[in-house]
Amino acid sequence: MTRLRILILEAQVPFVHGGAEILVRELASALAARGHDAQIVSVPFTDYPKDEILAGAEAWRLLDVTKAAGGDVDLVVATKFPTYFARHPRKVLWLVHQHRAAYELAGTRFSDFAHTPRDVALRRRLIDVDTRMLRECVGRFTIARTVSERMLKYNAIASEALYNPPKLASRLHAGPYGDYVLTVTRLEHVKRVDLAIDTFEKTTSSMRLLIAGEGSIRYELAEYVERRGLRDRVAFLGRVDDDRLIELYAGCRAVLFAPYQEDYGYVTLEAFLSRKPVITARDSGGTLEFVVDAVNGYVCDPTPEALAHAVNRLAADPALAASLGERGHGIAASITWDNVVDRLTAEPGIPPLPATMAVQ
Amino acid sequence: MKVIVAEARMPFARDGAELHVESLVAQLRLRGHDAERVALPFHSRKSDLLDQACAWRMLNLSSSNARPIDLLIATRFPTWFARHPRKVVWLIHQHRPAYDLYGTPYSDFTGNEQDTRLRAQLTALDSTMFAESERIFTNAQNTADRVRRFNGVATRPLYHPPPIADWLHGGPYGDYILLVSRLEPLKRVDLAIRAMAHVSRSVRLVIVGDGSQRAALEREAARSGAGDRITFTGALWGEPVAEMYAGALGVIYAPFDEDYGYVTLEAFLAAKPVVTATDAGGPLEFVRDGVNGFITPPDPIALAASINRIAADRSLAERLGHAGQSLARTITWDGVIEQLLG
Repeated sequence: MTRLRILILEAQVPFVHGGAEILVRELASALAARGHDAQIVSVPFTDYPKDEILAGAEAWRLLDVTKAAGGDVDLVVATKFPTYFARHPRKVLWLVHQHRAAYELAGTRFSDFAHTPRDVALRRRLIDVDTRMLRECVGRFTIARTVSERMLKYNAIASEALYNPPKLASRLHAGPYGDYVLTVTRLEHVKRVDLAIDTFEKTTSSMRLLIAGEGSIRYELAEYVERRGLRDRVAFLGRVDDDRLIELYAGCRAVLFAPYQEDYGYVTLEAFLSRKPVITARDSGGTLEFVVDAVNGYVCDPTPEALAHAVNRLAADPALAASLGERGHGIAASITWDNVVDRLTAEPGIPPLPATMAVQ
Repeated sequence: MKVIVAEARMPFARDGAELHVESLVAQLRLRGHDAERVALPFHSRKSDLLDQACAWRMLNLSSSNARPIDLLIATRFPTWFARHPRKVVWLIHQHRPAYDLYGTPYSDFTGNEQDTRLRAQLTALDSTMFAESERIFTNAQNTADRVRRFNGVATRPLYHPPPIADWLHGGPYGDYILLVSRLEPLKRVDLAIRAMAHVSRSVRLVIVGDGSQRAALEREAARSGAGDRITFTGALWGEPVAEMYAGALGVIYAPFDEDYGYVTLEAFLAAKPVVTATDAGGPLEFVRDGVNGFITPPDPIALAASINRIAADRSLAERLGHAGQSLARTITWDGVIEQLLG
């Protein structure tokens, strides 16, 4: 194997620490474990006001990531928007996501892009320059099929989904199928925690919902639970440490995770590695790449009634939960970092397809 | 307060400036502030300088995730090009080849029209950025003097303790002179190597550090006639370096016009005298000839004479070293942070 000098390109959101940041650090460790010299290059990104979005992209274009102390950089791995604006002859994309507010979220309550001439023009512009930058990449991967589909739909560029195991993979384990359903999520609107809460207004068992995670709408959600009189059924645990999280997974009956159009979501794999079934919704995006209805979980309509029905079935039958969870485990265990490293560092062979041919 | 500390450096490189920034972030956090580092890649190639300044200018660091950021602390070129309503500069250094190093062998700027224009442009842009900053400090008096000379801006130094301060302690005055430095031309490690031919045979030289000049310096040591008394340990950091300091007779530190230089204070915190040169820059802010070390011309024979004095008189080394220690202990992070946050 050739030892490569690699820069992983990261869009930093100062004072916010989320999944993408962990992903990038895990990738750096995985590359180092395989003998490569890998370092992370972070440039802050802000999307407020919207005029700053292109300025942030331009910053990446101006920086030189081809040289480093001690010689040339062999390979750069671009991750989120706008890291793929960097210039390098061997730029490989492992796309976490584009600027979603300008893509599939536009027009929903999760986006600040409105249907005004100015916003529409900015969206077009963003998608157009994105397309050009993405085409420069000599290898194109995404973290999940949802992300690949989106890139095909909006940028007409084909790519391959390349999955990585969650950070806690080696430590997650099964335990008793207890009397609570677990949700692990940042508390933001797009995660649709309110839907999970509403579900527990409809369940018929004594099964409780435990919500692990923190976020900007915590108090709003807590108040919502109070108002619905669900204090006995739904509890917020706040941010929990890894050890606690592992135990929460180990002891739950099932995991409920029904965000809106999630890209990947480690939660599904973490649940499966803990041999727990996952209850999700038809429009949850990334979870659907792994969850197969009635095989390793339930894929429901995004309504409290439908989700409650699934919870009721598992509440009534712990053995069913165990057998669904066991089947999930098989899928999750086949996802490895070695595969990710192999694919990202593979010699660029066939030149990328022209965009017109990449449209299926 | 939510504070961003901005730095720029070459990927895969590690140097004093990076430690400076890491320490500042850690010290801010210790005092309950929400501090985060922003670090963009930087290359010193002339043709890249304006692009990189422009990249920093593209960054609006006034808020993150819809929450305001209270303060931006810029540290070196081109971090002060970032946009923020409350920008404080704690200047480690400007792009020195365009400033004080111009006209020395350490600069890649020539006198041709293009380079002259670029120098003028960089100076003017830096001045503009300083003008939009709320306050400007430097890491050392030497740096402050340069900013006054080139940009016409009056600033003052804010001294901070070296990153390994907590590990440093005194110890026996042993049989070696210590040199801790990156092995780069500007650090003039060759001066110390050449001095060894004139130093008492009972004294060794231990060189801690690594860099582009390592092989050349090892050849120089072999040729010097004192090769058997010169050791290269490679790069060390933290406790192992502190132990090297603890056992040394004294420390030699004679770079060319250093900005600040942690080594002087590290030596003093370990109660060791410092032998330095008249043109060493930063070290001269702390070293007093005959009080806590020696200041000699940048010449191997003169440096050797100073080393021989402490080699011949361990009690002199001890006295000078302790005088240095008292001085170094007055420099604390509390003072720095109070000034920066204003």
